Parts: sequence; structure tokens; C-alpha cells
Amino acid sequence: MTCMTTSRAISSIEKLIPQRSPIMMVDELLRVDGYECTCRLTVRDDIFFIEEDGRMAEPGVIEHIAQSASAFAGYMAIAEGAVEPPVGYIGEVRNFRLFNRPRIGDVLTTVISMGPTVAGVTIINGVVSVGDEKIAETQMKIFVPED
Amino acid sequence: MLLENRYFSVLSEKRGEGLSAVYRLAILPECNVYEGHFPGNPVCPGVCNIETIKECAILLCGEQLRYSSIKQCRMTALATPSACPEIELQVSMTPCGKGYTVQATIADENRTYMVLKGQFDKS
Repeated sequence: MTCMTTSRAISSIEKLIPQRSPIMMVDELLRVDGYECTCRLTVRDDIFFIEEDGRMAEPGVIEHIAQSASAFAGYMAIAEGAVEPPVGYIGEVRNFRLFNRPRIGDVLTTVISMGPTVAGVTIINGVVSVGDEKIAETQMKIFVPED
Repeated sequence: MLLENRYFSVLSEKRGEGLSAVYRLAILPECNVYEGHFPGNPVCPGVCNIETIKECAILLCGEQLRYSSIKQCRMTALATPSACPEIELQVSMTPCGKGYTVQATIADENRTYMVLKGQFDKS
């Protein structure tokens, strides 16, 4: 396990996640420390889940958390020699709570804690903040097919 | 609505007892979400199906709704616009506090794609 902490993006996000515009919902992987990472997204008007009121629909927040976990998994896979980031899917969302919907211009800072992986399924915990305000949290099972 | 007539369209609605209904939906393969999910490999984003459940619930009750929580949402099979061009969405709601509890299932003749239990606030 590689551990590092940096205020700068660790790698180009396109190398870490397979999603692309208009549903690319992480800008940077900022920090990896053991089984925890921090990702960042600045909410833009061209994101798929932005509604007419300039705020993000609730499932967009779930997707952002999933892609933050995906960036973490991509970072670890590339550290272990993979060329392409793994394509993972959400298997389960559990205990998702949304306290405030993000709006255009908000900077989402998301901490992912990764649990063990069993049979291709990893349990993660995600907490999303804007500044000091926690706006959402969830647990999730992420599934990466082995094909 | 964010996804109606963009990601899905309603083919039919069959209302049941109380606040419940079954919606037959077409999944629209030309939706721009597939440009990014994933390039050259279109897969229905599970989160789009979560939003689709909310939009059908809005059609059912005629009120604006927001998820305040999702207790559990299991995504039990991968959906693609080519493999499942039509799906059936069952939704039932019960008034609770300032919103509704919701239970929903998305399936076709062959498999179940999603089972969701959550909570809507009226917005």
C-alpha cells in the first residue's frame, strides 16, 4: 500500500477513472493515506446531474462518491502496474443521507474510507463536505468484474 | 424533470392501490450520458435509475420530491440500453413526516436491476 499526502493532484484524473464528460464527477485525487483518500470536485454547469435551479440532483452526489472511490481504486491499480483504471459498478448504496444539495461553484471535498475487498466487492464509506459543512454521507459496495 | 424524455420515456402507467403504480419505460439509447458512461461501452448508470425512480414517484403523486435518504439500494444486475431497451418500474409510497417513504423495483422479463428503499422530502 502506497501512502502519500499532497496538496496537489496525484495524477491526471483521466488516468484514474474510466468515466468521461458529461458524467465525469471528480476533478482531482488530492490525498491517499493508507485506506483513506480525499477527492475534490468543483460543481460546473455542464455536469449531467445539474438541474434548472443550478443545483445537483441527489443521485449526482452518490455518483460523485462512487467516482471518488473509483479514483482511489484506479490509483492503487496503477500503482500495482495496471495500464487502464478498472471499471467498477455500484453494487449497493446503504444509509445515504443528503443534508444539502450542492450548487454550481461549490467545491466538494470527499473523504473515502475503503474496507476490505472480498470476491471483487469493496465496501466504502464516503463523506462529502462543502467547506466545513457535511452535505452528504453514504456507505457503498463497489463491484469490479474480473472478466 | 432531469431525465424524463432524455434518459427514459414513459410508455405506460398502471396505477395500483394507494400511492402505487407500475411504469413501463423505454431506455433512450441516444442519451448523452453514454458518451461518458462509458466511452464505447454504454452502461446505464445506476444513479440514473435512482433518479428515474424519483421522477416516476413525482408523476405518481404530482408533487416535487427530493431524496433525503436512501436506506438501501441494491443494484442486482448491469443494465445497458441495448440489452434492456424497456424496463418495468414498480413504485409505492407511504406518507411519512414531511414526505414519503418509497419502495421501488426496476426489472424486465429476465432480471431485476434495482431494489430501493428510501425517503422523499417534498420540495
